[in-house]
Amino acid sequence: MAEAVAAKTGPAKSALAALRESRGGVSAAMKAWLKDQQDVRKKLRASLAAGARSVPDLAAECGLEPGRVLWHLMAMRRYGEVAEAGEKDRYVLYALKKG
Amino acid sequence: MPAIRERYDALVIGGGIAGMQAALELSEQGYEVLLVERDPSIGGVMVGLNKVFPTLDCSSCICTPRMAEAAHHPRIQLQTWSEVKRVEKDGDGFRVEVLRKPRYVDEDKCLGCDECELVCPIDVPHEFDYGLGARRAVYVPHANAIPHKAVLDVEHCVYCGKCEKACPTDAFDFAQQPLVDATRVGTVVISTGLQITPMDRKKEYGGGRLPNVLSPLAMERLQSSNGPYGRVLRPSDGRIPRTIGYVQCAGSRDRSIGVPYCSRVCCMYALKQALLLRHYIHDVEVTLYCMDIRAFGKGYEQFYRRAVREGVRIVKGKVARIQETDGRDLLLRVERIDVDGRIEEHRYDLVVLAQGLVPAWHADGVIDIEEAEDGFVRTPEAKLNPSFTTMEGVFVAGVAAGPKDIPDAIVEAGEAAMAAANHLERTRWRAGTARAAEAEETEIEEEPALV
Repeated sequence: MAEAVAAKTGPAKSALAALRESRGGVSAAMKAWLKDQQDVRKKLRASLAAGARSVPDLAAECGLEPGRVLWHLMAMRRYGEVAEAGEKDRYVLYALKKG
Repeated sequence: MPAIRERYDALVIGGGIAGMQAALELSEQGYEVLLVERDPSIGGVMVGLNKVFPTLDCSSCICTPRMAEAAHHPRIQLQTWSEVKRVEKDGDGFRVEVLRKPRYVDEDKCLGCDECELVCPIDVPHEFDYGLGARRAVYVPHANAIPHKAVLDVEHCVYCGKCEKACPTDAFDFAQQPLVDATRVGTVVISTGLQITPMDRKKEYGGGRLPNVLSPLAMERLQSSNGPYGRVLRPSDGRIPRTIGYVQCAGSRDRSIGVPYCSRVCCMYALKQALLLRHYIHDVEVTLYCMDIRAFGKGYEQFYRRAVREGVRIVKGKVARIQETDGRDLLLRVERIDVDGRIEEHRYDLVVLAQGLVPAWHADGVIDIEEAEDGFVRTPEAKLNPSFTTMEGVFVAGVAAGPKDIPDAIVEAGEAAMAAANHLERTRWRAGTARAAEAEETEIEEEPALV
């Protein structure tokens, strides 16, 4: 089994490493992008853990610009981390999905 | 993904609705077609639209069966994520060079299961949703994509290898390289479609910097059931809008940005979107500012009247300027045409610019055909042979020839396919496969009679 896994990942990993090398590795811009994404998501998850929130609520609690909050929330919604949980004063409430 | 063969009857450049129609009509007549699409999926602009006017039919419900038909037709070879780099006259036909971009995924092995996409750690703005939504660095282009295969966006990849580990079929092939293949064809149909006038052209409308000033295609995605937000919200803060303004001729009939022509579809798509907004948000007020309404097609005037009946407000006026307020609302400065030219200011939650259509592709450096002053492919016999270009054997269909709506693009694609078939018969071009076999059979049957 271990040999099968090694056989599966071995050659592809070296091709991936070669691709990475040919493109000069991960760019500084992509590293910064990923770090920012992780920071924003951490803040949003912490706020949403306390209950459903609207975009302006989350923006105020997390100290983020509301448009950025919406974009990240919609990414989390698309990939199954967040769902709608009602409406309040013309804003949709979002909550972390259970499980 | 089959290799590009040495010879086809026809090359169709662009896999939107016009290109698919032309390819299907040619293949149904027995011709072998190579259909080249630069995006990772066929479907063009139409597959991203919400509904079509004036019937309000679901756009993708019309488009996706046509996509599937083109993809599964035995005489059409789809070549997505590829670009035609050069077409040159070569004897009776044309020599063609096609750049095949690496997906980094073996299309024959990929199931389109999304497992790679789910584990990818990078979210980036999704082109299909005009940046309003997100996709991963490795992604299946959209829910209705054909082929329904993943593609790796290597510009945004962090080379973590999670996608490869998650793939149940070992489909990743990171050693793929861009390839240029050559082939020969007997005729060419150009169906390269449209883009809308860039947002930054109109500085007085915010120049693309105001988040709540949307392009019409972004509004299509917001209205779509599989759109980025799942409903219509303001991009700046997620508020459900209560007032929405449409600015007509915001990229057409405007010499100041070099687009003096009418784009023919803006009045109708704006009316359609405005009417649907009235259906989707129960208390929304929608106002269209226009010089006039051009509802020229079958059932269009009736649709205009329906929109007015159902509460869409039409104001004859030219919007001079859009400014953002502190709360990211939008202040429209309007010169009224119908009320003694007076100047008014109105505040909106959201504004949609009814931008015009411009060509999505230019022939320069690819094929030696002429373009007209407006940048669309020149059609020297526009009245009698509307698909003819300035090069014999090369035909044009859809918005590549000039702005038009979907029904007209489909009709024109049929005409282009017929003209291309006539050209193939005149030159007796044969791709060397099914059509050639049929021709041989015919000759064998005829010979004894001559003897």
